[in-house]
Amino acid sequence: MHIEQLQLKHFRNYESLDISFADKVNVIIGENAQGKTNLMEAIHLLAFTKSHRTSKERELIQWDTEFAKIEGRLLKRNRSFPLEVIISSKGKKAKLNRMEQRRLSDYIGTLNVVMFAPEDLSLVKGPPQIRRRFIDMELGQIQPRYIYHLAQYQRILRQRNHLLKQLQRRRSDDKTMLHVLTEQLLEHAATILERRFLFLELLRKWAIPIHFEISRGLEQLEIRYAPTIEVLEDANAEKIEMMYLQKFHELEEKEIERGTTLVGPHRDDLLFFVNQKNVQTYGSQGQQRTTALSLKLAEIELIHNEVGEYPVLLLDDVLSELDDYRQSHLLDTIQGKVQTFVSTTSVDGIDHETLKQAELYRVRDGKIEL
Amino acid sequence: MYYPEPISKLVDSFTKLPGIGPKTAVRLAFFVLNMNDDDVMEFAQALVNAKRELSHCSICGHITDQDPCAICQDTSRDSSVICVVQDPKDVIAMEKMKEFHGKYHVLHGAISPMDGIGPEDINVPDLLNRLKDEEVKELILATNPNIEGEATAMYISRLVKPSGIRTTRIAHGLPVGGDLEYADEVTLSKALEGRREL
Repeated sequence: MHIEQLQLKHFRNYESLDISFADKVNVIIGENAQGKTNLMEAIHLLAFTKSHRTSKERELIQWDTEFAKIEGRLLKRNRSFPLEVIISSKGKKAKLNRMEQRRLSDYIGTLNVVMFAPEDLSLVKGPPQIRRRFIDMELGQIQPRYIYHLAQYQRILRQRNHLLKQLQRRRSDDKTMLHVLTEQLLEHAATILERRFLFLELLRKWAIPIHFEISRGLEQLEIRYAPTIEVLEDANAEKIEMMYLQKFHELEEKEIERGTTLVGPHRDDLLFFVNQKNVQTYGSQGQQRTTALSLKLAEIELIHNEVGEYPVLLLDDVLSELDDYRQSHLLDTIQGKVQTFVSTTSVDGIDHETLKQAELYRVRDGKIEL
Repeated sequence: MYYPEPISKLVDSFTKLPGIGPKTAVRLAFFVLNMNDDDVMEFAQALVNAKRELSHCSICGHITDQDPCAICQDTSRDSSVICVVQDPKDVIAMEKMKEFHGKYHVLHGAISPMDGIGPEDINVPDLLNRLKDEEVKELILATNPNIEGEATAMYISRLVKPSGIRTTRIAHGLPVGGDLEYADEVTLSKALEGRREL
């Protein structure tokens, strides 16, 4: 799939933009603070209806204007159709083929995007929520139904945590309601975990050989999932639900004492090992970067395999962060098959066939010159 | 923009209504100025009366101008079946159907810990008292099919089950007259779950 055309209105520092893109590599060049990342952000928003760097949507709307609009024309399965995200103070609208989609899960997954930005280099080393977010985003775009379960889970979790706080402070001693919320939570928790296990299986299939290759055959990657219950990865949702129920039963008093939910997918983590050593604690910075890169490249292949087409790749200021070998590995992978947007301050020093054939766009102060 | 005080007060009042923004409020306020006096008086009186003469039925919690409400007073209705709903508007929707001949209980909300709404805030204690005093055989839980409505139904059924009263939950599923292909996946999977023998 690829984005044929992008139109922005009142988005960040773009007053108005209408631009067509090549279906291969597009290089966005510009000094700092001219709007390179904003353009990447716009494409990310078009895919997920969310920014990758802020949750404050007001920031996305240009100063002194009422709304921001991002419109794209997507070519997918030989059909070309418009996508639209409008952000205003009243909220957000996502339109597919000009029709508003009220459910997020009806919209997300139409445009598949894999983003690789400097902050992704901390995927391995950063806090667990970065890795949970990674799973949720990638799983969500290949399985829209997962987003529904996740949203329900998060809402029930909030209700349950509020009730646990009330029980902790003795404002209530009504355990019946706690049991009701536990029962509601279980169903979604089990589905989420089951789907994450299946996703992990796919991720391993692609990431391990890629990592092996980037490390020139020196490193054997291992990906482990660390859940809050002891369960085997081939367990089905029913079995998982039973395990959760038992754990919630055991921990009831402790949960009330702490005033929060202690079990569930919202507390899980991903662990990475290279040659049997935990990369997070014992890995060199180079190994951590290779791991992050392997995961991103695995995503590209995984989406291609699940969706039937390659996703759009966004490389935001990240090429310069990789050494020559990793850089050329990345560029070899995408060559000729993945529509890619590369943002950079300069293309000097990157000597690769893929970039020589790329379209160049110069960004200055919210305007683009070809 | 400067408006004489009577107009700006009227505009402010209109903005308090749901779905009315500042622009619509101004338009409505100026429209009122051009209405004839009798209509305006009638309108104002209707507003005041609706508020003054309506109260909640002391038995079921439905809005009413007499206590107990007409439904609770109606002896031809089956008092052994109570339908539990979240909102007075739900009673009106059920009544339109003309097929339910039992009584109602209006909760005025759903349990939601994060909004600080517990069972005692939504008429649940009154419901339990009714179940003790009246000869009830079945409780139909018709709260909304979202997380809070579902939790409220589950909560009430857990409290009531030990007493041996039959508790049922209304079905979720496809709208009648609709096409299967337009149903969203969640509704469709609920409909599949609730399938029945023909």
